[in-house]
Amino acid sequence: MKSFENIDPKSVKEAVGLLQKFASQKKDAAVVGGGSEYLQLMKVRVATPDYVVNLKTIPGLNYIKEDGAGFRIGALTTLSELEEHKGVQEKLLFLSQAAGEAASPQIRNAGTVAGNLCQRPFCWYFRSASHVCLRKGGEVCYSVAGDNRYHAILGGGPSYIVHPSDLAPALVALDAKIKIAGPAGEKTMPLEKFFVSPQVNARRENILGPADIVTEIQVPLPKSGSKGFYYKARERQAWDHAIVSVATVVQASGGAARDARVVLGGVAPVPWRAAKAEEFLRGKKIDDGAAQKAAEIALEGARPMKDNVYKVDLAKNLLRRALVASV
Amino acid sequence: MAQKEFSVVGKATPRIDGFERVTGKAEYTGDVQLPSMLCARVLRSPHPHAQILSIDTSKAEKLPGVKAIVHSFNTQVQWASGGLTQKRMIFNNPVRYVGDAVAAVAATDRYIAEDALELIDVKYEKLPYVLDAAAALKPDAPKIYPKGNLSVGDGRVTAPIKEEWGSVEKGFKEADKVFEDTYISKHVNNAQMERRVSVAKWDGAKLTVYASTQGISNARGDIAKALDLPLSRVRVICKYMGAGFGNKNQAQDYDMMAAVLSKATAQPVKLEFTREDDFIGMHGRWASEQHYKVGVKKDGTITAVELNAITNMGAYRKQSGDLTGCDFYNIPNYKKIVSPTHTNTVVAANYRAPAYPQSVYGFASMLDQIAFELGINPYDMFLKNRVRLSKGKSQFSSNAMEACIVEGAKRIGWQEKWHPPGASKGVKRHGIGMALGGYPFRLGLGAATIRVNRDATAHVIVGVVDIGTGAKSTMAIIASEALGIPLDQIQLASGDTDVTPYSIGESSSRTTSFTGTAVIAAAEDVRKQIFIIAAPELKAKPEELELKDGIVFLKADPTKKLPLAKAIHKVESEIIGRATTNPALPEGTDGKCFAAHFCEVEVDAFTGQVRLTRYVAAHDSGTIINRLTATSQVKGGVVQGLGMAFTEELLIDRPTAVPINPNYRDAKVPTHLEVPEIEVIFVDSYDPYGPFGGKPVGEPPITPSVATIANAIFNATGKRFKELPITPDKILRAVQV
Amino acid sequence: MEEKKGKGVSRRDFLKRVGAGSVGAAVISKGLLDAPTVEAYPTESVQSPKGRSIVSLKVNGKAYRVEVQHRQTLAEVLRDELGLTGTRIGCDRGECGACTVVIDGRNMYSCSQLAVWMNGKDILTIEGLAKGDKLDPIQQAFIEHDGPQCGFCTSGQIMSGKALLMRNPNPTDAQARRALSGNLCRCGNYNREVEAVLAAAKAR
Repeated sequence: MKSFENIDPKSVKEAVGLLQKFASQKKDAAVVGGGSEYLQLMKVRVATPDYVVNLKTIPGLNYIKEDGAGFRIGALTTLSELEEHKGVQEKLLFLSQAAGEAASPQIRNAGTVAGNLCQRPFCWYFRSASHVCLRKGGEVCYSVAGDNRYHAILGGGPSYIVHPSDLAPALVALDAKIKIAGPAGEKTMPLEKFFVSPQVNARRENILGPADIVTEIQVPLPKSGSKGFYYKARERQAWDHAIVSVATVVQASGGAARDARVVLGGVAPVPWRAAKAEEFLRGKKIDDGAAQKAAEIALEGARPMKDNVYKVDLAKNLLRRALVASV
Repeated sequence: MAQKEFSVVGKATPRIDGFERVTGKAEYTGDVQLPSMLCARVLRSPHPHAQILSIDTSKAEKLPGVKAIVHSFNTQVQWASGGLTQKRMIFNNPVRYVGDAVAAVAATDRYIAEDALELIDVKYEKLPYVLDAAAALKPDAPKIYPKGNLSVGDGRVTAPIKEEWGSVEKGFKEADKVFEDTYISKHVNNAQMERRVSVAKWDGAKLTVYASTQGISNARGDIAKALDLPLSRVRVICKYMGAGFGNKNQAQDYDMMAAVLSKATAQPVKLEFTREDDFIGMHGRWASEQHYKVGVKKDGTITAVELNAITNMGAYRKQSGDLTGCDFYNIPNYKKIVSPTHTNTVVAANYRAPAYPQSVYGFASMLDQIAFELGINPYDMFLKNRVRLSKGKSQFSSNAMEACIVEGAKRIGWQEKWHPPGASKGVKRHGIGMALGGYPFRLGLGAATIRVNRDATAHVIVGVVDIGTGAKSTMAIIASEALGIPLDQIQLASGDTDVTPYSIGESSSRTTSFTGTAVIAAAEDVRKQIFIIAAPELKAKPEELELKDGIVFLKADPTKKLPLAKAIHKVESEIIGRATTNPALPEGTDGKCFAAHFCEVEVDAFTGQVRLTRYVAAHDSGTIINRLTATSQVKGGVVQGLGMAFTEELLIDRPTAVPINPNYRDAKVPTHLEVPEIEVIFVDSYDPYGPFGGKPVGEPPITPSVATIANAIFNATGKRFKELPITPDKILRAVQV
Repeated sequence: MEEKKGKGVSRRDFLKRVGAGSVGAAVISKGLLDAPTVEAYPTESVQSPKGRSIVSLKVNGKAYRVEVQHRQTLAEVLRDELGLTGTRIGCDRGECGACTVVIDGRNMYSCSQLAVWMNGKDILTIEGLAKGDKLDPIQQAFIEHDGPQCGFCTSGQIMSGKALLMRNPNPTDAQARRALSGNLCRCGNYNREVEAVLAAAKAR
């Protein structure tokens, strides 16, 4: 690790102020929650910040509050706390499971909900100090000519990373909102809009500005009669990020879908909402045939590369499995 | 069988150093802290093949805390065990793969050493390179060595490796059918948990190296040779060792780098690899492309096997590059040509049973496929063709392969569970598979000293290093049994070349047979002396006495007895026994341990995910000295095979020649969640030449594991996967729901 | 790193103060570092220039004040500064688990926490389990069930098992496997490690 200065702010306001100051001084400053993911980038010198702003010293950012409408989750809530929360387990079991699918127990104990949403890609070219890729200010996305078995099949170009979060697909499927504090005060927006496609900006994964901090995730309860699922395909049952994951929330009555959310993880640079598949499902009786058709529609625009064609079938199969289970 | 009753051999005995291992008190090399010790880090080549034109260290030297920088322009030290067929230095020019060491920096802490690496300016002239072994053998391929890329011999090894008996032409003529196919295995890193680390310090002209090595004696020899020092002036110490599985035997470049930096700074130096260094800076298992031609009778009997193969040794040749997976079958006519080949990639060399699991995968897959095509149950195919004669001619010193096959099949329920390949339909598909394996059992040079103290306690002094096998405990158990002194009265001194005698090094599964045999002989030496001293006390002749469980007694009348301490109370100091032994198997006899593995899998046709649901490993390792640690060894070998079968492969990015997954996350080493209960069977066996009838345990279990899993996947899917690892993407492509 | 003579406390000054000798000597005796009061933890690290601070932490029930570089991980400080080398570093990347310790009741990778973040934290390492020569039941079970092969991952496996048993004294086999799933064992001794954790649960 390059030498840096760690700073322990006592409030969100102080942290935002510090970040503003560093930005104006053109200093490289990083915001760190649990830290386990960002530290690895620092160790291989892919990240070389001058300042590390450690949010863990800010009181009051770790909570799960439940009211009739849903849950409000503090940014510094750990993945383990989310997974183990009784109310979440009871009302949103698949969100608890998605949290429990992330990384490893030790990382879930340290890693935060906001950190999981803001983590940088686990693309091996991005994580390699030898490859100055597009996302690190270079000229090319090395996956195009290189080994792209884990890269994007949807929404890629010019960068083909996949968003690594397990929580993001589940939360987007739940119409979650994200609260962000910044120089202009606080704002709340749909989580889906938080993520940035590489066509908009290939060097970042979300809309956070240099002095913005995620403070809360708001999760509304799905309409009654809804069932949610999170399925994750991976090679090892610990540590691995999703090769493909699917999050579905289907509100059904009498075997037919009244409403549906279909979100894919591990396939695109952002959590990938399959809006056309959702539309197709609305009002349909969900059987294996309809599930297969919806899966076909969800993957319609897929443009796999040389090594990741299998991800198309994998995504279809997982989606089929989740949808059939939904009714 | 010439078995006898044992006191402690054959039981399940907890490790003698268990307390140190579970309390964190065990001192590994990285835990060594010396006053004014410096930390060192290594700079590696970013290019696959390049001439270094210059190395400018001036900026790095100006960084406060930097004490010394060594590289190929100021340091010429040979790394003898790094190159079998070429003179390899600790820093080479040209560099021949991405990861070849360029320089090493010693500084007051590791952070400064790492900062300094960034400040070293190296000018390279890039040279043409080749990554693929088959391409490297083409005439127009870039040459990594003047003689070309086929690794040529220097007298110790030949290239290509050739082996032949009988006549394959005749064998193929006698065959009813001849099958041909190609199997591919990939480079897999040993990935031991302890990163490479070495601490060197000089006291005047004497060098002490705290090494993380599998063999202190050979490490000492290598270091002495490399630095032109007398053996007496090199001391190598390794008390606890965080495994190596073949890539920490002998002395390696980092030991010499630490020694050179320590000399240059007149301070102790700890040189640590990072995990990335560890994945690319040493070696993994050689990848292979194996082309088989197999002749069989209609009933499945093998008449001839011809193997033509290329093994990818990377930039330097450290070890054989051979493929020996046909060892476990009766093959009357055999011809093998293996071409170890250089490429501009990470070096490949020894990893647990170096030449076996990849080649057992190829050949046992081949036989499983032939059984399918002939309509024969694989059980009958493997049982019928199991090896009886070594290399078509020699007897084995012991051979319980048949019992392994029969008992293992019975345990897993082969006859009830086996179904034709591909018969399991639906989303979750069941499969069952088997394969045969084993490993050579050798005898050779060992040495031991035993000191029996006047209070009847004993010290066993051996040069072994316990890399995780339980070798220290095994030596103590053998000593206890051979001496007749209870295990808890025995202390072991090991792992320090200034104190302990020669040991072969924990490699090639030789510690128990080589050093164990010497321990028995040293015990005999001590017992003779004890009986002479005790004879007057018991009013008997020395040859009439026996010692067991710490009691000396008359063989003819066990009621005439004395506790050992009493029997030797006239001794004022201690009784010392010594032995250097170098036994050999009789001419025309070969040694081998044997194994038959069985497993069941469940293939998810939706995801391509394979779950290993059951695993049975049946082994002939002769007498089991310690059932507890031996069972753990078998379980561990299977888990490593599981990783090789399912996930592991070092990936070199083709356009940039850079390894892109040199870390545990992307190399996908198996976790707790992939591993079922592994059921271990040791069949009844006794080898007349092994210590107390024992044969090796460490390496055999990995040998059939990859093939066993691959064959079960075939049974589940009806599809043959001819390239490792068998990842979900490959299965998804082959299997339709 | 140049020794700092500014207003902050340099490492060398600090070492001189506690009397541990030259800068190269990385081991500081625990006794010298024992803070007089166990309960008082400043919530704020003392900021010194160029990435150094003094942190107060509790390790195995003992309070320490130690000056660290901000880029030092907890694992490095435990090993290099406090001499608690039972915590091993296998990958230094949060990918193997050898460095697992229990922080405020949860198992975490000490290689993936900066020491400067540990102010006021209660840390349990492998050295904190045994009471003198009396082993914790999980340590005893690891000996009896042959938990360590090479032993390099063992401290981490035990600490994950300990964290599990602290929260769930009677885990199932599946729960134990999942709780240990962030700990690699390249010797492949997974069966044994789970066996040992379950045996320790029974032994309590």
